[in-house]
Amino acid sequence: MKKKIVSAVLCAAMLSSMFAGCGKQAASGGAVNEDGIKEFTAFFAVPGSEINDDNEIQQIIAEKTGCKVKETWLTGQTAEEAVGTLIAGGEYPDFIEGGNGSKQLYEAGALVALDDYIDKYPNIKEYFTEQEWDQLRQSDGHIYWIPQFSNIYGQERACTHNDEAFWIQARVLEWAGYPKIETMDEYFDLIEKYNEANPTMADGTTKNIPYTILCDDWRYFCLENAPEFLDGYPNDGSVIVDPEKLQVIDYNTTDTAVKYFKKLNEEYHKGIVDPESFTQTYDEYIAKISSGRVLGMIDQWWDFAYTGEDAIKSAGLDEQGCQYVPLPITIEKGMKNQWHNSGGVLNVSSGLAITTSCKDVDAALQFVNDLLDQEIHDLRFWGVKDVDYKVGDDGLYYRTPEMRKQAADTAYKAAHTCSYSYFPQYSGTSRDGKNAMKSDGQEQEFFDGLSEPIKKCFEAYGAKTYVEMLGTSEKPGDWYPMYTYSNTLTTDTPGGTAWTKMGEIKHQYLPKVVMADDFDKGWAEYMKAYEECKPEDFISEMQTELERRMTEAAKYK
Amino acid sequence: MTKKTFNMADFKRQRILIIWAAAIVIYGIVFHYAPLVGWLMAFQNYKPVTGLLHSQFVGLDKFKVLFSDVSFLRVIRNTLAMGVINLAATFVMAILFAILLNEMAFKGGKKVVQTISYLPHFLSWIIVTGILHDALSGTGIINTVMLHFGWITQPINFFAHEKYFWPIVAFANVWKETGWNAIIYLAAITSIDPSLYEAAAIDGAGRWAKIKHVTLPGIKPTIMILLLMNVGNVLNAGFEIQYLLGNGLVQNVSQTIDIYVLKWGISQGDYSIGTAAGIFKSLVSIILIVFFNHIAKKHGEERLF
Amino acid sequence: MDQTLDLTSTAGKTKEVAMGKARKRKKISGADLAFRICNGIFMICFVIITLYPVLNTLAVSLNDGTDALRGGIYLWPRVFTWKNYETVLSKDNLVTGAVVTVARTLIGTVLALVTNAILAFIVSRKNFMFAKQVSLFWVITMYVNGGLIPTFLLFKSLGLTNSFAVYVIPGMLSAFNMLVIRTYMRGIPDSLEESAQLDGAGYTTIFLKIISPLCKPVYATVALFVAVGQWNSWFDAMLYNRMASQYTTLQYELMKLLSSVSNQSSSAEAMKNAGEGSVTPTSVRAAATIITMLPIICIYPFLQKYFVTGLTLGGVKE
Repeated sequence: MKKKIVSAVLCAAMLSSMFAGCGKQAASGGAVNEDGIKEFTAFFAVPGSEINDDNEIQQIIAEKTGCKVKETWLTGQTAEEAVGTLIAGGEYPDFIEGGNGSKQLYEAGALVALDDYIDKYPNIKEYFTEQEWDQLRQSDGHIYWIPQFSNIYGQERACTHNDEAFWIQARVLEWAGYPKIETMDEYFDLIEKYNEANPTMADGTTKNIPYTILCDDWRYFCLENAPEFLDGYPNDGSVIVDPEKLQVIDYNTTDTAVKYFKKLNEEYHKGIVDPESFTQTYDEYIAKISSGRVLGMIDQWWDFAYTGEDAIKSAGLDEQGCQYVPLPITIEKGMKNQWHNSGGVLNVSSGLAITTSCKDVDAALQFVNDLLDQEIHDLRFWGVKDVDYKVGDDGLYYRTPEMRKQAADTAYKAAHTCSYSYFPQYSGTSRDGKNAMKSDGQEQEFFDGLSEPIKKCFEAYGAKTYVEMLGTSEKPGDWYPMYTYSNTLTTDTPGGTAWTKMGEIKHQYLPKVVMADDFDKGWAEYMKAYEECKPEDFISEMQTELERRMTEAAKYK
Repeated sequence: MTKKTFNMADFKRQRILIIWAAAIVIYGIVFHYAPLVGWLMAFQNYKPVTGLLHSQFVGLDKFKVLFSDVSFLRVIRNTLAMGVINLAATFVMAILFAILLNEMAFKGGKKVVQTISYLPHFLSWIIVTGILHDALSGTGIINTVMLHFGWITQPINFFAHEKYFWPIVAFANVWKETGWNAIIYLAAITSIDPSLYEAAAIDGAGRWAKIKHVTLPGIKPTIMILLLMNVGNVLNAGFEIQYLLGNGLVQNVSQTIDIYVLKWGISQGDYSIGTAAGIFKSLVSIILIVFFNHIAKKHGEERLF
Repeated sequence: MDQTLDLTSTAGKTKEVAMGKARKRKKISGADLAFRICNGIFMICFVIITLYPVLNTLAVSLNDGTDALRGGIYLWPRVFTWKNYETVLSKDNLVTGAVVTVARTLIGTVLALVTNAILAFIVSRKNFMFAKQVSLFWVITMYVNGGLIPTFLLFKSLGLTNSFAVYVIPGMLSAFNMLVIRTYMRGIPDSLEESAQLDGAGYTTIFLKIISPLCKPVYATVALFVAVGQWNSWFDAMLYNRMASQYTTLQYELMKLLSSVSNQSSSAEAMKNAGEGSVTPTSVRAAATIITMLPIICIYPFLQKYFVTGLTLGGVKE
């Protein structure tokens, strides 16, 4: 009998345990903690850097503003999935950045319309112009999110060219006596000649890799989008926009595209293009860059510099001129290039939003407003005075080498630094008119970090920064950039379907075209597969968007 | 089947078993069958905004979209091919390894080998594929060795050719999981009565005869059960490894159903496509295990149900 | 099944002696020696191939992150540093995560083992009238899946979100583990159960006193599978307990750290300021992998004795 009771109890315990949720709900909605500080929660549907619960600067900001935000980031999921789960559950954090899922959040009615609040907060009001605020209005006429990035206060402070370019190692230019390189043919010519004269690196055994192409997954832009720049157009990302006729042009099929891929094909057969280009992973590519063997490539600065250039420096290869400088290359001589554009880019497709779960919208927005105060902004992006930076007699901020080192330390960052990196922020010049809003814009800081060969190279070309190597152009037009639209396309529309298919086909065929024994035949096969994707559907949707943007912009003229 | 007639005496004796089974079945309904309501998504244009209850009903449209897409048919082929190759390779290797390990005379060595063999299971795919990429690169160990012995004159770019992709994936699976998978067989071997070996030895059986007549029959039920379970999983050939090893040149053979779903479903905010593909996989799995279970039953082997 | 198994034979001791003698006699045979050499060589090759990725990970974890970007680290670090481990171990909430992970591993393993064993016991009774149906019911659960969102909604309505229970309750019973135990139990001769029944033992007694003691090897195997699964899982923590940091797990914290490092290594700040001694996603991943492997390697020998034994120790004992 006893045994039966025992098993009956076990049985009941098992059943009941199924329903036993013993959790307490996490604090949300601006709950006030024991120190009298309001605590908000935030979820960003992008990967990010988490900071410690007792982070020092976060605490300082909390004392000054009376608010603190516990941030969580996307881990191991896509933004759409994470946002979809939140919507299904119907509970949100106070702040949210939906990434690619922003539109879903708006459609689900999860976000608070901000228009009525904006005027109450001067820093937020000042953050965008009327026209920019209007660009953020959704289909119901309200504003729901504030894009956080690329907002330039005062004068722009760009030292590095953060975007795409044909890069070349300083040692190649030095060997050739710093010639003027303007076209793709000259670029490859130089690389060929250098490699013939110097097939190895300074150690005499390690062979150079004359030109490599990164093709790993979404990073294949290093192969595919050069034709738009070669034709002298800016980075609209997915298409070329003819500024006179306001016509969308497909850069995949232009004559320049044919010339560019034909050149790569020739160079591939000459052994200049790295035969592992199309199979290497990003890690392998960075390893090659880091070893200083790669003479040149197309890439975006942020994609290789923060890892590859660092490794070059730490291995002492910078003194051999293994670091990269960008070249102003176009398809023909004498064309205006737009590799670098000045000014910010307003990406309207996502931003910081406040959800309907937030119980104190005013306090939340007050906090966003406070974060844009110069004092708090300095705390976010420079740190604590005399701990993270010093102020010179001229009022300029600078960092000692020790400060730089600790600023790069992961553990130190988590414990000390709090940039609230997905809240609205400025780049450009500080309100004091001298310093840069963020430490990476401070010129002196920039020059101190340059190696001798790079300085010499800059001098030879009469440049002081990477940007001056390329020259800079103004914002091309009111439509710019078109990629903020193509990024939001989904297979719900024919254009979006075509866009996704085009990506697949290009991934598969472009490497084949470059490797083909008979280029013309390879190109014809590619074009046949490409046409089957119906690129015209995509182009026509882009054209519609272009016209919509121009009509919107015309209202402010 | 004939035995299933209701019998009150049986019922009484088995009362305790039935109560337990009922509790467990309720648990199963709650945690495994209730979420299947989500399958409705495959027949809707599901949006999180409208939820399961109010999304637009589209019938079999999503299935039609899937099966009219040539690339979906191609990913089914890839998934199936890799599933079968991986199954065969990992399965045979695990059994072989377990038996050979069991035959090792030196007990200390046996334990060390066994401990080391399961360690790669704890490495993530990103680490394993990184090492594999290194080993197979133009200057990697494989090409270096083959060049050294003159088997090839030019380094082979393994990841540029479709023909190498499936074997590489199979090898990676074997490499990572053989030792781990073998554990189950090792446990099964311990259940074999030593007196059987003794008897076999007295009958003059050699090592091979003992493996063939004692060890293998001893672990056959385990082999059969795992084989049946894994046959149901051939369409779950994976996602991560193909994603990490694949590239544009081999995407025709590297993409699996799961990768397709990510690309054409989840990344496009379309949950229905993924659910439809999931239902398809479930149906194939269930058909496969019912079929093979029936065959196993016919041959009087251990079976799933 | 397995009628060939003769369990009523002589006691273990004499068997061992007999086997020992048999083995000694065999040692002389030339074919046998050849087999042993071949087997030994095979095992050495196997060990080298499987040990390499682990040693490589160890070497990378002890190497400077920026330096490792250049590649070419094989078995030995080139620029030695503890930095990667320091970075991992200084992660906020790591201790909370470790405590929760240990708790979920212990509780989860015990729960899973008990429930799976009970279920396996039930369906392995040959005369149990619903054995086939219950088996089929569970086998199907292996191949169906309602999807992320419906499951999330279910757990939320059951109050499992923001709770510890979500780690141990939903995944408690699994068809795979149940079938593994069932197969083993079916190998145990019916005669044992029958004689116990004649002595008046009920099913509970048979399960606890007769069957379970014989199932130690398979219990150890399943415990290992469940424990390793629990130890390594982080997705549930991310999905159901994202906002409840008191229930974070070790692996989830490590995933977040990895994500932080990847994010930082691609920021302008890092480039300007880094130099010697910085960490990279690869180096931190390696250190995190080694750290999570260590406890398993330490505990493993205690389980291993149940399924790696000499021939003479094996077998179903009475």
